[in-house]
Amino acid sequence: MSPRLPLRVQWARSSLPRRFASSSATSPEIYDVVCVGGGPAGLSLLTGLRASAVTSNLKIALIEGQDLQKNRLPQDAQLDRFSNRCSSLTPASVKNLQEIGAWSHANIARIQPYQEMQVWDGVSDARISFDWDSARSMLFPRKPTQPTTIAYMIENVNTTTTLLDRLTELGGVDILSSTKVDTIELGQNTEELDLSSWPILTLSNGRTLAARLLVGADGANSPVRTFAGIPSRGFDYNRHGVVATLRLEGPGRGGLDHKIAYQRFLPTGPIAMLPLPGNLSSLVWSTTPDRATKLKSLSPPDFSAMINAGFRLSPTDLDYLHTLPSGQADEIAWREKHMQVNESSLPMKVIDIQPGTVASFPLKMRHADTYTGDRVALVGDAAHTIHPLAGQGLNQGQGDAAALARTIKSAVETGQDIGSLLALEQYNSERYAENNAMLGVCDKLHRLYSIESGPIVGLRSFGLRAVDSLSPLKSFFMGRAAGV
Amino acid sequence: MAPVRLSNSVLGSFRAASRRSALWRRACLYHSYEYNQAPPFPPAESAILSAALAHVPTHGFTSGALTQGARDAGYLDVSTSLLPRGVFDLIYYHLVTQRLALKDSVQFLAEGEKGKSLSIEAKVRSLTLARLCANEPIIHRWQEAIAIMAQPTYAPDSIAELARLADEIWFLAGDQSVDSSWYTKRASLSAIYSATEVFMTQDTSKGFIETGKFLDARLEDVMKIGGFFGAMGDWLDYTGHSAVNVLRSKGVRI
Repeated sequence: MSPRLPLRVQWARSSLPRRFASSSATSPEIYDVVCVGGGPAGLSLLTGLRASAVTSNLKIALIEGQDLQKNRLPQDAQLDRFSNRCSSLTPASVKNLQEIGAWSHANIARIQPYQEMQVWDGVSDARISFDWDSARSMLFPRKPTQPTTIAYMIENVNTTTTLLDRLTELGGVDILSSTKVDTIELGQNTEELDLSSWPILTLSNGRTLAARLLVGADGANSPVRTFAGIPSRGFDYNRHGVVATLRLEGPGRGGLDHKIAYQRFLPTGPIAMLPLPGNLSSLVWSTTPDRATKLKSLSPPDFSAMINAGFRLSPTDLDYLHTLPSGQADEIAWREKHMQVNESSLPMKVIDIQPGTVASFPLKMRHADTYTGDRVALVGDAAHTIHPLAGQGLNQGQGDAAALARTIKSAVETGQDIGSLLALEQYNSERYAENNAMLGVCDKLHRLYSIESGPIVGLRSFGLRAVDSLSPLKSFFMGRAAGV
Repeated sequence: MAPVRLSNSVLGSFRAASRRSALWRRACLYHSYEYNQAPPFPPAESAILSAALAHVPTHGFTSGALTQGARDAGYLDVSTSLLPRGVFDLIYYHLVTQRLALKDSVQFLAEGEKGKSLSIEAKVRSLTLARLCANEPIIHRWQEAIAIMAQPTYAPDSIAELARLADEIWFLAGDQSVDSSWYTKRASLSAIYSATEVFMTQDTSKGFIETGKFLDARLEDVMKIGGFFGAMGDWLDYTGHSAVNVLRSKGVRI
């Protein structure tokens, strides 16, 4: 099938002989799609556009402030060292990456699928376990061909390198790396061209680009969103997420072939341990800012002991342990001698922290009022920021990218202007309600589990146990989380 | 700036209770830095009542203390009939004078002076504690006073005086809110003050340390609840907007 381009696209391209001219205020270079931000969402969108025959003739530019080549995952990266910035990719996101031909470029050795998830209440110990076997009822057992994977743990740098490899293979995108956007403003109506509704980007290297569609994939403080005048609402949780790469005493309770993710809801926030290849795991501990500072200041043995305690000891014990200046390891060793824990349902013990991986970031929730404006579309964190307790942030961005690529494709097929609000309406309609629901669920879970005592604890524990014993309900929730 | 004070309408319902004391109240309805407040009680009453208060530790809040006070002030025993509400007038005198004494007994550094200026919450705490400490000489008799104040005839005046005390404390602490928190702040401080006052009558610790702790715990509760309602407001604002945004994303024109 031959790609059909809207007439105006061809006219705009042929009427500008100085397409690659350096800087000129009067005649900016005209692009169909300019994407600001080379993170997973932006790269996924551009790869999706290039991979489709319909949209592969669009003239595309990618602007990224950092050096994309320098931040790639090295080919010979050692398997005993992992970045602390990891995400869990849902099967739906992986399917999308497969469709755009990127998944085969991934460094598979550094990706860890997991088959089970254990979630429990730090106050009441009510527990729910997610795995596809127990989610099927007795009448409809799981077929051997059905997947057993809940999600894939992958370093963010692996995701971006994978997409960048595929994008390089496809070619045809002007990648402006290590380039910042100085200003974005509307163009002018001259005798040759009417650019009065077009965003004109002035870059730090002096070039000016006019965008038929400007895509903001530029993160939570998106300059593109600011240019479009789209407000973003939400709140700060007054919590920090402490991340680290951990070495455990073994590969996990289920061995190398059945990896388990753990999450315990403490009143200060959830603590989660997500499996990485071999004996490694990734930690995300949401806690109050002063406790995050405290945890980061501890020596590696004390911090390891605190993580073990975070999965084992009561909130009261943890309150006390946070007040000690040091020596948590000894204190916890003494306490563990005097309490009964069922080790088989807990993650294996942390024995070491990979140096230089302990970091923290503030948790917040934001949602832009809309994802689309005149010649503007927002994807990923520019559109929404979510609490990390369900590991959905990256997946939402991938979902946005796939939906926007589909919207642009149908606009090209029907001969519409891809920058018009009318053409972009479908993207906003497809993604807004879905993302809003996911943001809402994670926000409510955070609030529900920050309660320490009272009847709510009993009710939430009852609810958790009820879902755990009702296979169809559990299957529904797992399906929603997996995006399938 | 004209400080916001209890308005006539708030206290209007209590005013009818005692026409005679209306004059005192009018003088107390607002604060002015330019105008010196008239003394709240006529000289004769003031003399009898202040002398009577000195007898409260021994005689309690009784007509006996009033008679002793009248004698000390050089009046006849029968002159206590100047005070139609009897013992309650004695209690009321104590409440009003101690409230008015607050602004002189607690001094805060003006802003910009050396040392870090206290937060409004810390000022409220020290003012409340100072007012509680003024009860110290008569604390063993204060339960009698509480019982009299709770009598249906006197309850409206007692509650109005409590409201004035809460208002005085927030005013002296430098609170300048003009939104709905004006009411919630005064209401919550009134509740805390009265609870702490009752606690203090039972407190046997040295220097009323336990009372201080009790007060801190109650104030902390209020901060938590205040934070909760503040967060609730943000959350409702967000949820309202997101509902509209979802409908807009589905093409509804709102």
